[in-house]
Amino acid sequence: MNDVLTPALLQPLVPPPLPATVASRMEFANARPQYRRLVMRGALLELITVGFYRFWLATDMRRHLWSHTSVEGDAPEYTGTGKELLIGFLFALAIIVPLNVGYFLLGLEAARLKAFASVPLVVLYYLFWQFATYRARRYRLTRTVWRGVRFSMGGSGLNYCWRAALWSLFSVVTLGLALPWRQAALERFKMRYTAYGNLAGQFEATGGQLFRRGWGLWLISWLMVAGLAAIVTWTVFVMMEVQAAGRVPPQNLAIKGITAMVITTIASTAVQVAAPFILAMYRSIEWRWWISGIRFGEVGFESDMSRGRLIGLYWKVIGWSLLMWVLFSAWTVAVVFIARSQIGDVPEVQKMMLATQHPVFYAGIGVAYVIGILAFWTVTRIYMIHDVWNRVASSVTVYNLASAVDVVEQGQLASALGEGLADSLDVAGF
Amino acid sequence: MTMQDGTDHGTDQTSVAEAPAPAPAEPRAVYFDGKTNRKRTVTLQFAGGVEILEDGRIVDIWPFGEVRRADGPPNLMRLSCVTALPLARLEIADEATKAAVAEHCAALDLARSGRGGTLRIVFWSLAATCSIIGLAVFGIPLIADRLAPLVPYSMEKRIGDAADVQIRAVLGDKDCKAAEGQAAFQALVDKVKDAGGIEGPLEAHMLKSPMVNALALPGGRVYFLSALLDKANNADEIAAILAHELGHVKHRDHMRGVIQTGGTSFLFGLLFGDVTGAGAVIFAGRTLLNQSYSREVEGDADTYAIETMQKLGRSAVPMGELLLRVTGKERKEMTIFASHPLTEARLERMKKADRPITGPALLTDKEWRALKKICE
Repeated sequence: MNDVLTPALLQPLVPPPLPATVASRMEFANARPQYRRLVMRGALLELITVGFYRFWLATDMRRHLWSHTSVEGDAPEYTGTGKELLIGFLFALAIIVPLNVGYFLLGLEAARLKAFASVPLVVLYYLFWQFATYRARRYRLTRTVWRGVRFSMGGSGLNYCWRAALWSLFSVVTLGLALPWRQAALERFKMRYTAYGNLAGQFEATGGQLFRRGWGLWLISWLMVAGLAAIVTWTVFVMMEVQAAGRVPPQNLAIKGITAMVITTIASTAVQVAAPFILAMYRSIEWRWWISGIRFGEVGFESDMSRGRLIGLYWKVIGWSLLMWVLFSAWTVAVVFIARSQIGDVPEVQKMMLATQHPVFYAGIGVAYVIGILAFWTVTRIYMIHDVWNRVASSVTVYNLASAVDVVEQGQLASALGEGLADSLDVAGF
Repeated sequence: MTMQDGTDHGTDQTSVAEAPAPAPAEPRAVYFDGKTNRKRTVTLQFAGGVEILEDGRIVDIWPFGEVRRADGPPNLMRLSCVTALPLARLEIADEATKAAVAEHCAALDLARSGRGGTLRIVFWSLAATCSIIGLAVFGIPLIADRLAPLVPYSMEKRIGDAADVQIRAVLGDKDCKAAEGQAAFQALVDKVKDAGGIEGPLEAHMLKSPMVNALALPGGRVYFLSALLDKANNADEIAAILAHELGHVKHRDHMRGVIQTGGTSFLFGLLFGDVTGAGAVIFAGRTLLNQSYSREVEGDADTYAIETMQKLGRSAVPMGELLLRVTGKERKEMTIFASHPLTEARLERMKKADRPITGPALLTDKEWRALKKICE
């Protein structure tokens, strides 16, 4: 599948723009079993502590990833703590709670007026989310120490937030065509305010570069969507024709109807199968482009990750999710039957309804839901965080590291408010 | 025998060799001074503290009691010092030096959260959970009781309007209003309303719906569903059910319900933090909690219905009979969770409070027949 897609739609990558002066490879000491135990134990503790353990688990995961990655034999140190994240979360609640109360009251008005007054609120949450990701990045950077010197990040989260919003709007309006330039502009903003000690960061990759690497994926995505839309429309018309023909349609029309249904099914399945490939390839292109744009003073970075490098990981997550979904469905059916057996003599129709309102049903589904969610998080924490990190980190070459000598420590610690906000808005990330 | 001797001898030799601890003459380490990222190769001496020497000159001394382990890669011991610069680090790779540090620095792992730290997190999480659940079970109903009477009518009306849209979406949007039936229905509602002493506006609707139910909303809205009407045998049954629903209106139960639901979901949301993650649990927990609370409320509404019917000189017993006809006999295991008291128990209560009928029939035969045909 991968081989079929790749050659036609993608141009060869641009050669590394940096002269290969002194290159050093970034290394990742893979200790996956240890990490797996860490996240599984963490999930169990999350269950026991009704979720409060997530702050400490996130800290442990970062410590593991940071300390197993190294450049020229030196691994960074993550100095954040779970307690900081908890406090950040509590601060975030103070902001989120009034917002939610306001949302409730406005929602009340909106339903009364039968209007779409809740749309601006979605926009508000989006802005908030951008703000949170910016501040969360700042927290993580200021907790990252390499060779006894800390990373830092300034800039205003609000400033970033309106830029992100406008660029997103522009990307939507242009059907995603402007996405590469959005990414470049936002990364430039973030890197401009990022520093390692007194060594200022910047971002040199351009939107044009990302576009040249990924336009094929963009095109094929829209072709697929358009194709699917066309097929679905056609099927709808055929089905209307069949319906108009009355109770027993003529044979050729019936065959046409069945064919249309089959084609629609095949096409939508194909799109669903292709989507993870496209997403995974886009991600690896984006990673590679992003890494190649990072500069700290004279220090540059390059990645040689192939486009297909992340596809397997996406499919593993999908496979596990499907398995969990099947188990969950089987469990749901079982629970309904157990609940049914608890109900006395009532008509069959009511029995089913009562069974789905029965406490046994609630309890059974509730337990399975929580376990399912924790299992899903564990899977994503392994594949989407650890394994992606592993593959990305071990593809990186650092140039001119020697120029980053005698960097002077400066910058100050940022609070974990952003992380707290991100946590309450469910922003995932490293 | 010989083998045994040999083994013993070997063991002896090892322990002899380990005893004097011939650590390498120069324990080496990498030192970062916390000001720049210069990587400095140093040697360590363990005397008054961890003495850090570069080219034979002491650059810093870390007191033994203040050296802490910092997070680092698997095979590297990374140290910090409480009294040194926050980012000053020593990195030690060779085992003998690591052992020497561990031997001298007793407080090495003081700051690291080990098993004790995890237990503390578990303990405080459970404590927080208990306090939040306690608040939800005892605190919120109390607050709802005090707060509900203070909510202005206009606000209540607004909530009712919002709920109206949803109710109609679920139950059916079709009002039954055949002229004669509507007149009979309105007459019945007015009688019950006057007897019950309801002030303020009241809207009663007959909705076409396959569900057997009647319900009230905040802001004085009452819905009677046609399927329940179909099951009714006389006007008293309908009147008593209406009285029950008006009881909810009179007691402002729905306002209390809104405050309570809002309060508990807020509290559970607080507990779980990320709202989406445990949405189902929040929902299930809230349902159980609210249902056990609402049984009390339903009991009060029944009392109100009994009193109102007696003021009209009629009996509430027919309502209990209608309910029994609808639900059939119920099993007892579900009582903890059911939102309403058991139908049989309700009928029993109504029979106990029953008095002889003194008042005139609430509807004439003609009106009753018209009411039954309201949806046609």
